[in-house]
Amino acid sequence: MSSDRTAAAAAPDAARAVGGQRVLIAHPRPPALAVLRAALSTIGVRAMDVAQDTDTLLAMVAQGAPDLLVLHLGILTDGLDLLARLRALPGMRDAPILVLGRFAGAGERLALMKAGATDLIPRPVTRPELAARLRVHLENRALNRSLQAVIGSLQTYHTGAVQRMTLARDMQLDLLPTLAECGGLERRYAIRLDSHFESSSELGGDIWGARALDDHRFAVFLCDFTGHGVAAALNTFRLHALLTKIALPGDDPAETLAAINGLLVGLLPETQFATMIYAVIDVRAGTVVYATAGAPKPIIGRPDGGLEVGASVGLPLGVSPKASYRNRAMAFPPGSFLFLFSDALFEARDWEGQIFGYQGVVDLVSGLDEDADLEGGPLRQLLERYFTSMPRPLADDLTALWISRRPDPPGDPD
Amino acid sequence: MNYTVRDQAGVREVELRGQLTFEANDAFRQIIDGMEKDGIVECVLNLGGLDFIDSAGLGLLVLANNAGNRVSVQLKMKHPRGQVRDMIEISEFHTIIPCEF
Repeated sequence: MSSDRTAAAAAPDAARAVGGQRVLIAHPRPPALAVLRAALSTIGVRAMDVAQDTDTLLAMVAQGAPDLLVLHLGILTDGLDLLARLRALPGMRDAPILVLGRFAGAGERLALMKAGATDLIPRPVTRPELAARLRVHLENRALNRSLQAVIGSLQTYHTGAVQRMTLARDMQLDLLPTLAECGGLERRYAIRLDSHFESSSELGGDIWGARALDDHRFAVFLCDFTGHGVAAALNTFRLHALLTKIALPGDDPAETLAAINGLLVGLLPETQFATMIYAVIDVRAGTVVYATAGAPKPIIGRPDGGLEVGASVGLPLGVSPKASYRNRAMAFPPGSFLFLFSDALFEARDWEGQIFGYQGVVDLVSGLDEDADLEGGPLRQLLERYFTSMPRPLADDLTALWISRRPDPPGDPD
Repeated sequence: MNYTVRDQAGVREVELRGQLTFEANDAFRQIIDGMEKDGIVECVLNLGGLDFIDSAGLGLLVLANNAGNRVSVQLKMKHPRGQVRDMIEISEFHTIIPCEF
């Protein structure tokens, strides 16, 4: 916060008018300065300092770089390295240094420019011409200063924004189940749980979760708020807070969605809502019971290799207080898998702009190798193949969950 | 997305074509403005020419429906096909905006 204010305050100072700028003149014979002084007064410069020799000049510049330095050629009689010494002082790298005098020829002019002069003003020169040239350099200086202040302020803002986004992103990732929590569920229910969470920008509008209900049942959900970015991400924090603070009928998916809907209606702005699937997996009964609120249809894989696309019907959450939801039950014996994903997976477009399509997801799942389990998991293989034809970053947030039940050990009498 | 408007006896039919996504925001808000100002009693969105809708597009439908409720204009939809029909069925939008399939 404080850094923003500092950056904003820099602008007025940099935008000072020409009249408020400080000009330093180095001249061996100050009485001869009348024309120069008059020219500077004409353009409104009030702050003029004069140095009569190199030591005074260097001391004055070291105390504070002027907006414009005018050197009379006579001050450079000891050598052009004075220009390099001036350039090396703080604030002088880009400051305009003009040399005024009667130049011997092209060679001398070139040497002065190479040594560090910004521009040369050959004498004789009329007062109006001198004033016009000084004004150009002072205006350039003012413009450069304000441009640098703007760039500096943008850099400060950008650095701060990146830091804030990184912190917010870490907070968002903290909403998701940890690897240790997933491992706990995997051991307790003899499952494999793979997940993928990929936001289209620093923050996303997706959230998923999984939790144990009892010795043979656990629940998993995937929720996708409309839009993406900061606004959608704020909604994921809302939902996470609601889920942790309020007692939900967590073992009944339809009632759970209805309860969450009741909390979100009125909380979300008019065009924002969430799609969600909530599933309860019962490893003793060998079933998955789920309800959906506008969520993509889940895909279930059978132990014999067959695929089934689960039905999905239900108003998204937050649209209507009257919404009600239905439970659907499907067999989920050992060796089955359940694949849940957000709509980004099939609404994404390939390099030619073609939408991937839901059928594309079904084809991708059915084409997975049978031993994908050994190769880092079926979800990893699926996404590797997906991203060979789909460009990153996706336009929307992608979350995918793959839950598979371990097959019964062969030859087991049970 | 582009659209054409036809009025007959207080009923406006808006034929939508192309894709109803976030990019359609400005055009769709013009349709909503028209609903609110032009003194019609019913507005039918003909979705037959629409080949894609995403959640942002559904959000625009909610917006239009709420606007219709405020100014007593009955909003309806008709003839969604393909992915648009799937989306309306999955999200049960026909329960809040009457839809002729």
